[in-house]
Amino acid sequence: MIILEKGKVSFFLASRSIIRGNKGITTFTILVMTLIFLQIVLFSSILGGVTVQFNKLMVDYQTGNLVIEPVENEKYIEDTSSLQKKIEGLPEIIGSSARLRSSGVISHQGKEVGTVIYGIDPGDESQVTHLESAMLSGEFISCPDRGEIILGREVSGGYGALMESKSLGGVEVGNTVNVKIEGVNREFRVKGIYSTLYSNTDSSAYINKADMEEILGVKNRANEIAVKTTSDISEEDARMKLLSLGIKEEIRTWHEFAGMLKTIESTLTMLRNAFSAIGLLIAFVIIFVVIYVNIVNKKRQIGVQKAIGIDQKVIVTSFVIQAVLYAFIGITLGYLIMHYIISPYTIVHPLQIAVGPISLILENFEAFSRAALLFLAAVIGSFIPAYNLSKKSLLELIWGK
Amino acid sequence: MENNTKSDVIIETKDVTRIFYMGEVEVKALRGVSLKIKRGEFVAIMGSSGSGKSTFLNQLGLLDIPTSGTVIINSIDTSKMSEKEKGNFRLHNLGYVFQDYALLPELSAIENVCLPLMMQGKSKEEYQRAASAVLISVGLEDRLDQFPSKMSGGQQQRVSIARALAHKPRVLFADEPCANLDSLASKQILELFRKFNKEEDQTIVMVTHEEWHMEYVDRVIRLKDGVLES
Repeated sequence: MIILEKGKVSFFLASRSIIRGNKGITTFTILVMTLIFLQIVLFSSILGGVTVQFNKLMVDYQTGNLVIEPVENEKYIEDTSSLQKKIEGLPEIIGSSARLRSSGVISHQGKEVGTVIYGIDPGDESQVTHLESAMLSGEFISCPDRGEIILGREVSGGYGALMESKSLGGVEVGNTVNVKIEGVNREFRVKGIYSTLYSNTDSSAYINKADMEEILGVKNRANEIAVKTTSDISEEDARMKLLSLGIKEEIRTWHEFAGMLKTIESTLTMLRNAFSAIGLLIAFVIIFVVIYVNIVNKKRQIGVQKAIGIDQKVIVTSFVIQAVLYAFIGITLGYLIMHYIISPYTIVHPLQIAVGPISLILENFEAFSRAALLFLAAVIGSFIPAYNLSKKSLLELIWGK
Repeated sequence: MENNTKSDVIIETKDVTRIFYMGEVEVKALRGVSLKIKRGEFVAIMGSSGSGKSTFLNQLGLLDIPTSGTVIINSIDTSKMSEKEKGNFRLHNLGYVFQDYALLPELSAIENVCLPLMMQGKSKEEYQRAASAVLISVGLEDRLDQFPSKMSGGQQQRVSIARALAHKPRVLFADEPCANLDSLASKQILELFRKFNKEEDQTIVMVTHEEWHMEYVDRVIRLKDGVLES
């Protein structure tokens, strides 16, 4: 008898068992498969959402889409105003922000915090990042403002700062802080306190670029220029466009800029895979138990089938097909629930987590790879008990001897 | 009781023993049974409870492996067969009727009967025609698509007989086929056996403990304490 004909008998037995078998067991098994699939992809989606949110925070509050840096061995980009004009002439560029960046020490009432301080043109910065909308208290600095500073909540303290003890311990808007940059001490009035949830930005401070130029003794220079592009162009294509303008400085996409984030992302990916593996192991055990109980209940039927000459492989295959059909229905239901209910719901009502709102997006590759692993679990989880049982003697199967 | 003069022997056993182990206790269910069953014979194996009659039937039907001795069916020494070969042999040459019918509850009457034929690789048309014919011959023409749970015990046993006979086996084995039936249904089943035995020359080996069943069979083999009663 050829394999195809044996397969037909297996499929015949499996389909009849699913359609006409115990409805409760069928429903329960499919429900278990659906929940396992959802559990695996939900957790994965949450971690995936966290990664996306981390990246989004960095793009929205620090790097923009591209970052131009000085050529090697140079500290500054020269003649930034001309360069910015050139860049902003491209239709794909929304804006650019030339920043002076320096480490400094901010002190207030005996407490001091070492931090990175940026000198920015507030108008330009608002074209690139959403810093202006991240104010918790006070206001964003404006172009004519001099001697004013905005502080991230990790610097000011209060407002739910994560590292309160390392902050200035609760500086408020209107307070005066002392800022020391490259040996120069200046007093600044705190104009605003912000929180972006992006820890690098929240641990920084911003002053007007004119103040920074004065302190550093430079003019029309920058340590970096953050560039915001339109959404219809990829970062790599935008980089090529800028290079075609003859810009000799280093142009990096935010991906290259995100050293720390990559570490976090790879950690999250590792976690995601580890939890998926645990989820799959649990899935395997549950599938094994559900199918094992189902098969043990059919011990005598297996014996009768063997007695009347049904091939052991046909019997085992019929149980594997059943499990795969259960898995197929369960996974399909899980996918539909995720795709048409959970994902759209979390897009409208994002989950609020520490790094901000996240939506649960199910990527097809993710869904298919997890589904494939669940199918594998169903095949192994059904094959082992079916094989072990079907190889028992007929006396044991039929009469329990 | 045994007549060895006829040459057309379908089953021959030679000194078959079967020992079961229950913990450390050795139970000798069969203590060396030798006999011959002729082609076309309707034989009843009788004996009191624990006499070894069902154990002996299981050896004849290749459902169990004797501790020693040989079972030869249709001139083939079955002791030399692998489990897979025995399965294949059962599929093509033997039919079984169990005390509790042993139908697959998720299959209709005709599907239960079709199953061994499907396994034999018959075409859909072939197996459906054969299954319908045999179900009609056992008087279930109006119950082809009925499920076992909707049938009486007698009807289920008739489906079981149809399943056992659909592939025209060389030997039909029946283990107390009437044990769960009332006397009317029992008579109907025995008459069916008799009909197939006479009309189709079907060899039947049946285990029973009812003395009145003797009137339907050609020969009675009596077992006592695992040996043939002389």
